Amino acid sequence: MLATVAQAVVNGLLIGGIYALVSVGVTLIFGVVKIVNFAQGEFVMIGMYISYFLATSLGMDPLVSLAVTMPALFVVGLLLQRFLIRRVLGLGDMPQIFLTFALSILIMNLALLLFTANYRTVQTPYTESAIHIGPIYIAVAKLIAFVLAMALSGALWAFLHTTALGKAMRAAAQNRDVAMLMGINPDRVFGVAVGLSLALAGAAGSLLMPFYPVYPTVGQSFVLMAFVAVVLGTLGNVTGALIAGLMMGVAESLGIQFVGADSGLIVVFMMLLLTLAVRPSGLFGGWTR
Amino acid sequence: MPELLVVRNLSKRFGGLRAVQDLSFSVGEGETVALIGPNGAGKTTSFNLITGYHRADAGSIRAFGRELVGMRPYDACALGLARTFQVGRPFGKMTVLANVMTGAFLRDKSPRGARTRAREAIEFVGLSAKEQTLASDLTTIDERRLEMARALATEPRLLLLDEVMAGLNPTEINQAVALVGQLSKRGLTIVIVEHVMRAIMAVASRIVVLDHGQKIAEGNPQDIVANKDVIRAYLGTGYAQEAPAGV
Amino acid sequence: MDAIKIGPRGTRALWFCVITAALIVLPLIVTKPFAIDIFIRVLLFAFIGVAWNLMGGYAKQLSLGHAAYFGLGAYTSTILLIRFGISPWIGILAGGVVAMLASLPIGALCFRLRGPYFAIATIATAQVLMLLFLKFRDFAWGAEGTTLPNLGNSPLMMQFGAKAAYYYIALAMLALGLAITYRIERSWMGYYLVAVGEDEDAAEAIGVNAPRIKRNVYLISAFLTALAGTFYVQYIYFIDPNTAFSFNVSVEAALVSIVGGIGTLWGPVVGTALLEPTSALLQSSLGSGHGGVQLTVYAVILIAVILWRPTGLVGLFTDAYARIFRTAPTRVSEASLDA
Repeated sequence: MLATVAQAVVNGLLIGGIYALVSVGVTLIFGVVKIVNFAQGEFVMIGMYISYFLATSLGMDPLVSLAVTMPALFVVGLLLQRFLIRRVLGLGDMPQIFLTFALSILIMNLALLLFTANYRTVQTPYTESAIHIGPIYIAVAKLIAFVLAMALSGALWAFLHTTALGKAMRAAAQNRDVAMLMGINPDRVFGVAVGLSLALAGAAGSLLMPFYPVYPTVGQSFVLMAFVAVVLGTLGNVTGALIAGLMMGVAESLGIQFVGADSGLIVVFMMLLLTLAVRPSGLFGGWTR
Repeated sequence: MPELLVVRNLSKRFGGLRAVQDLSFSVGEGETVALIGPNGAGKTTSFNLITGYHRADAGSIRAFGRELVGMRPYDACALGLARTFQVGRPFGKMTVLANVMTGAFLRDKSPRGARTRAREAIEFVGLSAKEQTLASDLTTIDERRLEMARALATEPRLLLLDEVMAGLNPTEINQAVALVGQLSKRGLTIVIVEHVMRAIMAVASRIVVLDHGQKIAEGNPQDIVANKDVIRAYLGTGYAQEAPAGV
Repeated sequence: MDAIKIGPRGTRALWFCVITAALIVLPLIVTKPFAIDIFIRVLLFAFIGVAWNLMGGYAKQLSLGHAAYFGLGAYTSTILLIRFGISPWIGILAGGVVAMLASLPIGALCFRLRGPYFAIATIATAQVLMLLFLKFRDFAWGAEGTTLPNLGNSPLMMQFGAKAAYYYIALAMLALGLAITYRIERSWMGYYLVAVGEDEDAAEAIGVNAPRIKRNVYLISAFLTALAGTFYVQYIYFIDPNTAFSFNVSVEAALVSIVGGIGTLWGPVVGTALLEPTSALLQSSLGSGHGGVQLTVYAVILIAVILWRPTGLVGLFTDAYARIFRTAPTRVSEASLDA
């Protein structure tokens, strides 16, 4: 029994790493640009498709394709901020919500038209392999994904806390006007924030490809997890999003193990309910970081 | 003079910051009391606590014979408490008239009645000519007037004014002071947060001074401006005045 | 002899009568079933949009989960019909009541969140309901759903041989929705809704009980949306969780209002008049295999509207109207709130 629970927890943590990565991206955009990116999941999906096509046409391992997806999506993020997001800042909730929401629908359905709804997978040498620690079975692909996801999240944290640009970003997140007075160019900062966020989404996609199928709507499940994790971890708080993402993974895994195979959404909803009822400002409620 | 507002041992923390500490003061019915202090002293926070925008951690706020701590702003407003915000918050999508009518609806649910009451308040603050102007098109001072008209439309007995004079030129300050004076003559009890000392000296019968969330002095205007603690804490747009001999 | 003078008010009333008359005789003139089907869809989705608009347009509570109430209405009336033989005329009202009851706990939870997070929470609730109904085999036919029994032409059971009958019901529903919106707009509730939508805290400071008013408008919005749900399944004789709780319904409810004119009386109508025929034409020319095209087009239109005219297209019409009839251009606030 204990072994079953431990296995479920381990599985949850492993996928939780991906959830954490996506959540960090969402919370970064929200903290700095004050916009909820409804399309974050679709950028994960784009990352996955890029890795998929690189793998099938060039035989490139998805982990290697990180070197492609991350910069590519960073640029996409810069463009996104420059041409779309910038236009709706300060216009209120409605335009901001529906812009990224429409973007999400657009990208999803374009993918549907271009790639059809078929599930596609990539086989790597390590897709099927696993290591055993006692009774616990750990899929190698998932382990690598987890480690790299944590590394990327850690790198982002370090960037935000040690580099000048990172600190400028946090400053702009806390108080945009004062940051401007200090000579920080909000557009540039926002652009980098969106770029980094999308790069992380793309990374999540590449990391998923060895063990997860890609299809046009794959981003939806990840983004819903991410949104709940962001609320749970306190809006704008990168560390919070990371921890909450891991928690969501574990919760979902335990739910699947003990409640039922498709209880994922119920678990998500329950966690949202719990957060709202008990601590609406999230685990780290108070100031955004 | 019966006390309309009694604040006792009011305290509020935001994380590690003690915004208001153990604040006590009272306001008599019909009085105009000024709340002054350097920036960050806790003046607006006190307003937010009194109106229920934030919930006090400790202490009591009694007004109209009721305990206000824990009460939501709209219930406090129904009892007779109104406030203006430091930064104007007009309903931009509505006209001036519609804005004020929204306030008037508290007392009269019929559109016709609310319109009449709203027009009275609008005329009082001098915005009648701009009745049909979209609130988002107003100048800053007109936004202030709108805030006040909207608050007045709820027919308050106690009015909290948060820095209504900020950024006004001397003529405008005179007009604002005149308005506040008229309100006072009508019997309205007013608590006013201000930095513009000239205005305070003109309208307030009593001053409460805050610094770092605590009350450091209280008294009539003449005493306050001579008070060493006040001068030390607050070198604002002060009235320089020599301390009377023997103090 | 003096010519009869018709002022701007009179002109408006005249146009109103003309258009209403035209709408009433329309199905008698244009009798092709395909055309009437489009008309019905326009009326129905305009109605759904109007229901959404009360909450999302005026009070800015941007729900993306209204399909929850659409589905609850549809399932309530269908369950009552098939399991208990109760007429959908009663079922439609029962569905409305069920939706209202559901909106209470859902609202209590979701209103704790503001802005985009409110939207996300509403999406989640609609999805959860869909999942629940996918599971309920005994009571509600699970994932396959069910077809509604074809009772021939039985008006008492809301089934009609003549397609035009459905048209008139949809027209009546839309009229109801517009009438309710019109009355609310001009009453204290309308002002309070816009105030809450503009600045909830400032509204509370002048005595607006924001939680209560959000709850009340949600009740109305849920009720009306549920009516549409019942009508729809009666019209297509089929129900399943994916149709009843379809995300597309949630999106379209918001979309037509935003494109047409968020927070205005006619916005949803204008939006639907543009979007529904477009999607119907797309479907017929491309075939339903390309489900992605419709949503892609919707998404592009939505982005275009947000970037260039966030207040919606209805403003174009009122300006044009004003120019034609040489009245002062009306702005949303003046037209709706100060008459």
